[in-house]
Amino acid sequence: MLEQIERYLDGELEPALHAEVHAHLAGCGPCSSHSEFQRRLKELLREKCGCDEVPPGLLERVRAVFSEPGTG
Amino acid sequence: MAAGDARPGDDRELRARFERDALPLLPQLYSAALRLTRNPADAEDLVQEVYLRAFRGFAGFEEGTNLRAWMYRILMNTFINAYRKKQREPVTVQDDEIEDWYLYERLGGAELSAETEVLERLPDEDVRRALEALPERFRIPVLLADVEGFSYREIAEILDVPMGTVMSRLHRGRKALQKALWETVQERGLVAG
Repeated sequence: MLEQIERYLDGELEPALHAEVHAHLAGCGPCSSHSEFQRRLKELLREKCGCDEVPPGLLERVRAVFSEPGTG
Repeated sequence: MAAGDARPGDDRELRARFERDALPLLPQLYSAALRLTRNPADAEDLVQEVYLRAFRGFAGFEEGTNLRAWMYRILMNTFINAYRKKQREPVTVQDDEIEDWYLYERLGGAELSAETEVLERLPDEDVRRALEALPERFRIPVLLADVEGFSYREIAEILDVPMGTVMSRLHRGRKALQKALWETVQERGLVAG
């Protein structure tokens, strides 16, 4: 069951298996605890690694790449 | 006019569509570029190059298909071809020795709130550094799945590798990341022992 949790949390299990894992987690403390931990870790990565501030000037540099000459 | 045979009206429409659809992806692409290059100056250059290549290919991009995945594919290809040569690859992780649920087991495995609390207390910079320290073949799938939220199928297409490879690298990458985070947790003194 623990091997399925990673794919379950990634939303990559086929519906029947997803439902099976979901039902199991509801009644199994250790599995549900593992699952919650892994879910939180995924969330943490998303929160901390995906929103760096765009440096000043980069937007303009990028826009200049595709702007019509003379307008950008 | 640099746009070859395109009529001025078509060209203007293409630029407007590119600005509307592709430009909003800049913050995500910049963050991803930073995780790849680990260096703000290189990340800026990489992103600029990605937009240049994407705009050149944009006329051939089929509207309504997955633009975000298409842009990330360009990001990965550009990085691998142009920037990676400059990078020093981190020391290879002997990941076969890392057991599943590495961090979970070390944090106690019993009191859930305490474990997740330790995670919350990790400074952002430490989490980023742990991810950036992973070898590329593990770092990229973890970045695409966990940070960017792409599906296995999308990752397989972005990286041009089979789905099985994506799953295996993702699993191994997550284990290696847990080990790196555990080391950080210990260095920071967030747990006893």
